[in-house]
Amino acid sequence: MLDWLPENVSVFGEGVDHLFSLIYYISIAIFVIVNAIYIAFIIRYRRKRKGEKAYHYHGNNLLEFSWTALPFALFLFLAFYSDGIWEDIKYADKTPNPDLVVEVMGQTYLWHFRYPGSDGIFGRRDIKFISTTNPFGVDPEDPNGKDDLTTINSMTIPVNKTVLVRLSSMDVIHSFFLPNMRVKQDAVPGQWVDVWFNSTKTGEYEIACAELCGSGHYLMRAVLDVQAQKDFDTWVDEQYSNVLASLAAAPAQTNE
Amino acid sequence: MEAALSTEQHGHAGSHGHSESFLRHYIFSTDHKMIAKQFMVTAIIFLFIGGAFALFIRWQLAYPGEPIPLIGKLLPSTWVNEAGAVTAEWYTQLLTMHGSIMIFAVIIPLLVGTFGNFAIPLMIGADDMAFPFLNMVSFWLFPVAGVLMMGGFFMEGGMAAAGWTAYPPLSAIASYGQTLWIVALFLIGFSSILGAVNYITTVLNMRAPGMKMFDLPMTVWAVFITAIIITIGTPVLASALAMLFMDNFLHTSFFQPENLIVPTRDMSRTAGGGQPLLWQHLFWFYSHPAVYIMILPGMGVVSDVLSTFSRKPLYGYKAMVFAIIAIAFLGIIVWGHHMFQSGMNPLLGTTFMVSTMVIAVPSAIKTFNWLGTMWRGKMEFTTPMLNAVAFVSMFVIGGLSGIFMASTPVDVFIHDTYFIVGHIHYVLFGGSLFAVFAGLFYWFPKMTGRMYDERLGKWHFWITFITFNGTFFPMHILGVGGMMRRIFDPTVYDFLKPFQPMNEFITINAMILGFAQFLLVYNLGYSWFRGRKAKRNPWRANTLEWQAPSPPPHGNFDRPLHVYHGPYEYSSPLTVQDYLPQTTSPEEIEEQRRHHETRLKQKNEATAHQE
Repeated sequence: MLDWLPENVSVFGEGVDHLFSLIYYISIAIFVIVNAIYIAFIIRYRRKRKGEKAYHYHGNNLLEFSWTALPFALFLFLAFYSDGIWEDIKYADKTPNPDLVVEVMGQTYLWHFRYPGSDGIFGRRDIKFISTTNPFGVDPEDPNGKDDLTTINSMTIPVNKTVLVRLSSMDVIHSFFLPNMRVKQDAVPGQWVDVWFNSTKTGEYEIACAELCGSGHYLMRAVLDVQAQKDFDTWVDEQYSNVLASLAAAPAQTNE
Repeated sequence: MEAALSTEQHGHAGSHGHSESFLRHYIFSTDHKMIAKQFMVTAIIFLFIGGAFALFIRWQLAYPGEPIPLIGKLLPSTWVNEAGAVTAEWYTQLLTMHGSIMIFAVIIPLLVGTFGNFAIPLMIGADDMAFPFLNMVSFWLFPVAGVLMMGGFFMEGGMAAAGWTAYPPLSAIASYGQTLWIVALFLIGFSSILGAVNYITTVLNMRAPGMKMFDLPMTVWAVFITAIIITIGTPVLASALAMLFMDNFLHTSFFQPENLIVPTRDMSRTAGGGQPLLWQHLFWFYSHPAVYIMILPGMGVVSDVLSTFSRKPLYGYKAMVFAIIAIAFLGIIVWGHHMFQSGMNPLLGTTFMVSTMVIAVPSAIKTFNWLGTMWRGKMEFTTPMLNAVAFVSMFVIGGLSGIFMASTPVDVFIHDTYFIVGHIHYVLFGGSLFAVFAGLFYWFPKMTGRMYDERLGKWHFWITFITFNGTFFPMHILGVGGMMRRIFDPTVYDFLKPFQPMNEFITINAMILGFAQFLLVYNLGYSWFRGRKAKRNPWRANTLEWQAPSPPPHGNFDRPLHVYHGPYEYSSPLTVQDYLPQTTSPEEIEEQRRHHETRLKQKNEATAHQE
């Protein structure tokens, strides 16, 4: 059944998939054992003659104890084993130093992405400034924000680099789902959540919304483009020159 | 109260020449058995509405954008487009109403409302509930709320469309249908609390003489513990609903942060400063225990049915009771496992993972004890037994798939996918609904005084069992493939396109599963009026309800009761027969044995004489 999993191209995805298959095989084993006993009982202990009596027996404390203790040990083991991987994925103090920070803003029904531009610094933002034309709420006074890059429904990142996504939403709750990266994180309005991943393979992957956000929920699809570092640099330069061009036109607009 | 004291025989087959008016008897009845029947009939009507909604959902997922066959063009224009295909707007309403109806208007009323009401007084030897009037109010809130919940159909914007979980801000900025949904759920919460208070009081105060708490059958224990969970959890849900109502209607900001961009609504009066996650905490503080509200009574019913038809004492009775109490307690501290990816502090994810893993232990204890009950039994595979046996097996699958979600890293991937949909249906359909079927058939003779049709019952079971698995097992695979819940059209995504044949397979199974339920209704409906007359104790069972006439009159029992034994003394070496009713005194046992021995002796002498 695990063959149906989408291809994993994420660094921590291997740990997730390993845990997935471990629990899968444990479950299959328990399922087969319990149901084999069950079916054997169903066949063996049917009533064949009218009036025959069953075995009058109320239970056994040693058995009760052992089938309490064994599952308890198994489930605690699974919890602690899972927790190691969980901490690596989600705990802030275990997140590796990011090579690239991208801000992601969900809006019904599209995804906005924001890069810090050539100066490597994001413009200051405040929830007050958020509007349909300024989805990230960038402070118009802050010069650092002038060269920030933004894209819609398309995220470009370099391969083999730790990418930190800073996630929020401007209306309802969305969920940032990258099946191939084994990433899922809700985007909650009014709060920023960090989530990281590191893609090991170039290519185009799909980004989906995994939290019901309205009737267009299913349309909230974006593309993740993982590129080699030099292709990524070219892409950034291209985008940056576009920003410069629009900045040149900007003073005319502010005068109006 | 006078009605409760009247000893008049009633029921459809009985004489109708009694002093009660039709209205008092059938509509505003305070008799627990009539209220149980009212709950049952109303909930089965809602079962078909919720089921129809599910089939529309399935049709759209298997054949996106294609017109609904036969009835597509007859449906209102707010639901379908000109061609008769489901619209995205209606789809979100469908999935919301399917979940809400099935949980709040089908499973809870059937398990808690129907079985709680019918079984508790009869199984503890009481003449009625402690508060019959409260009981009537508890029922009447339910159909009113059920209709109100769907009332958005008549309003602009349609029915509620924010999912049964109604996460704000989506649910806080929604249509009037959402507001009606909130009010309806609030009323259903009241209905639950009124019922629960009644159950707790009745079980604690009205047991027959001689009946200790540990003489209670598992059904009564389970509903009793469930009632305690309801009284703890439901007020929290009510408070959350009140806040959501105010956010929706009075522009408060409990769940809405500053400066939400909502073009469709005037947000200038909403100040902001609220926290969307607050709703999720409050909602799941009720709604996770609600999952146990929906499964514990089922476990109780199944324990009784398994023991009766295995002709064997329930294995580890006290362990079973303590397991239910453990589930109820742990069930209150695991709500955060619905929120692992919600933006809640991941440290809480760790703690909720540990508590969630631990709650699997009492579930395992129950499963092993059910196996123990069947071990060296003499099983009779009647319809209730088949459904109970299926419950155990399906509950095992539902429990095991739960481990995947409990493990936080795996949950990162499968959260909000069809894996969850598969899991919840294995628990609530494979678990709860099979237990409902088991209970309906088991108590049908007592409830109506007539036998159901065994052959039809078995047909219904096998078709349901096979197509249930055909419908819900492949959903786990869809989830492993990453298919998100609640999406209108999976073919939008390239990585989901390979799963379309599986979606079609699921839909075909779901159609058969849905239509097979007409067999259930036909069987119960026909047998209610035309079935063979039932004896007092057709299953040769021990518990007290089988000591009452079938159907029991007002006041239930026609003779005073005294309880001498636990509920599961089957195949006792002390007795001649393979069962020992709880009311049989030691003197009666002795007398029966003497009688039996004399008869044996006479028989032996007769044969010796002939030789």
